Amino acid sequence: MRNFTGLLVNEWLKLSKKRSFFVAYAILAVVFGILAYAFYELSPDGLNSTVDFATGTIMLQAAGQLVPVLAVLAAAGSVTQEHRYGTIKFLLIRAQSRNKILASKYIISVVYTLTLVLTAAVLAVVAGYIVYGGGAGESTWSDFLTNIASLAVYSIVFVTMTFMIGILTKSNGASIGVGIFSMMVGSLLVMLLSRYTITKYLLFSNTDLSVYNGEGPPIEGMTMAFSIVILLVYMALFLSVSFAVFKKRDIA
Amino acid sequence: MKTAKISNPSIVLQLDGLTKKIGGKAIVDGLSFDIAKGEVVGLLGPNGAGKTTTMRMIVGLIGMTSGDVRICGQSVRTNFEQAISHVGGIIENPEFYPYMTGYDNLMQYKRMTAGVTEARIAEVTRLVGMQDALGKRVKAYSLGMRQRLGIAQALLHEPKLLILDEPTNGLDPAGIREMREYLKQIAEAEGIAILVSSHLLSEIELMCSRIVVIQEGKLVTIRSLGESETPTQKLLSISLQVGNAERAQELINLMEDITIARADALTNRITLQLRQDQIPGLVGKLSTAGVEIYRIEEVRETLEEEFMKLTGGNRIA
Ligand SMILES: Nc1ncnc2c1ncn2[C@@H]1O[C@H](COP(=O)(O)OP(=O)(O)O)[C@@H](O)[C@H]1O
Ligand SMILES: [Mg+2]
Repeated sequence: MRNFTGLLVNEWLKLSKKRSFFVAYAILAVVFGILAYAFYELSPDGLNSTVDFATGTIMLQAAGQLVPVLAVLAAAGSVTQEHRYGTIKFLLIRAQSRNKILASKYIISVVYTLTLVLTAAVLAVVAGYIVYGGGAGESTWSDFLTNIASLAVYSIVFVTMTFMIGILTKSNGASIGVGIFSMMVGSLLVMLLSRYTITKYLLFSNTDLSVYNGEGPPIEGMTMAFSIVILLVYMALFLSVSFAVFKKRDIA
Repeated sequence: MKTAKISNPSIVLQLDGLTKKIGGKAIVDGLSFDIAKGEVVGLLGPNGAGKTTTMRMIVGLIGMTSGDVRICGQSVRTNFEQAISHVGGIIENPEFYPYMTGYDNLMQYKRMTAGVTEARIAEVTRLVGMQDALGKRVKAYSLGMRQRLGIAQALLHEPKLLILDEPTNGLDPAGIREMREYLKQIAEAEGIAILVSSHLLSEIELMCSRIVVIQEGKLVTIRSLGESETPTQKLLSISLQVGNAERAQELINLMEDITIARADALTNRITLQLRQDQIPGLVGKLSTAGVEIYRIEEVRETLEEEFMKLTGGNRIA
């Protein structure tokens, strides 16, 4: 157990010792700063409180979209950078199973994603408070928390997919490309195929759980429980492939 | 079940019919040899002979097609974590996280193994002479410094076996000499077995007690260096220059246990193999038969020449 904690610390340090580590957080800070300034200047209709601002900006369709993008950038590198640096040869000749090593990498990719979600949430509230100083609006704290939870789920799903692609391709660029491309094109695809009921089994039809608290699901008859089951099935698939391939791979 | 193999406690590394096939081609083919505690063994072969592939299988980076590797009695195939806990290694170039310091890199490997202390980090750092550079980022390191840090990471968990793949690659002659010195020192100080590969015998023969020569994935020969056979029993190569090579040849063919390697009627030179105690008899026979002897010389083959002959020369480097 002490050993596994060591692996987690190692993975966290591989991320945080990079000079670029703070850039992701800084980008979030700048974007929420700009939004706060814009809202202060323009005071758009329908947004009247700190909670309104926070709930609206953290949505996937708004600044929230940055979180999965930044998370995917890091998840893509988790395994691929070890190949690129050649450090995989030192990593895998320790008295640690490949499963444990990969598990520590995946867990830290998820933890890092959650720190981005948390940072975005705090920034949204702080920026909203600076502009509105509280106030009364339509949204509730419960809406805000729902949006944070959906953002976290969406990000983790794409992080898991990107993580797998990194293991399959060993290429940082390819994993980032596929990860971000499917985020962009996924929802478009669902829109185009929404006539067919089979579309509801597509990963991308289920990634944004916030629809159940608002506009409704992309295909008639879908429920939150259905989407969660579909997401779990996909995640299990991605992780099984990741662990199976990583365990068997010849490191040349 | 192979239960016949009685495990000798002093055997640290045991290769047993180790084979790797990729795409139907055997890159390493039925390789077997042992290394005992404290031995420094060279794995020698021309480029492409399969040295790196063999070492990758020993440390479990790639799977084996058949055969097995046992380290201190534990199979790499079935008992990987126990087996690998006795091994430190560098396969091909030593690579580190370039944005971290040497110290941070060593700390990564410290956290992966139970029982490695800060004092141990200081100890191995001193052993490879890296005290002053440990606080610098690895991207500022020279190749020689990375080699040293590589050896430091390999020694961190006090392994019983060190696997070093062409550690002298890219080093200048002074660097090679230095590397040789501190590997010897490490073998003595830590009492560990070392398997070191090279495509140049001259770079490792001074530190190895034994050489395993491979070519195209197959074992060619295993040689002990500094072998002490009794001189009277040892087969010598002798070159004779005589007055009449044909006549001499006829006479020699009648003698037991002497083989003619080459005979050249033009220069009247004959090269033959015999034991030292047969020489006086040979000279006597030739003289009495009236064959003049102008020269008797021993043909000494250096190990390097022998290696070249065994492996068909070094085709690439
Ligand atoms: N992954 C691989 N796929 C196909 N051939 C390989 C692979 N790895 C090595 N080889 C081939 O196996 C042979 C041995 O390679 P290697 O073990 O690197 O030799 P050495 O280290 O002795 O120079 C070479 O001919 C090389 O081309
Ligand atoms: Mg090699």
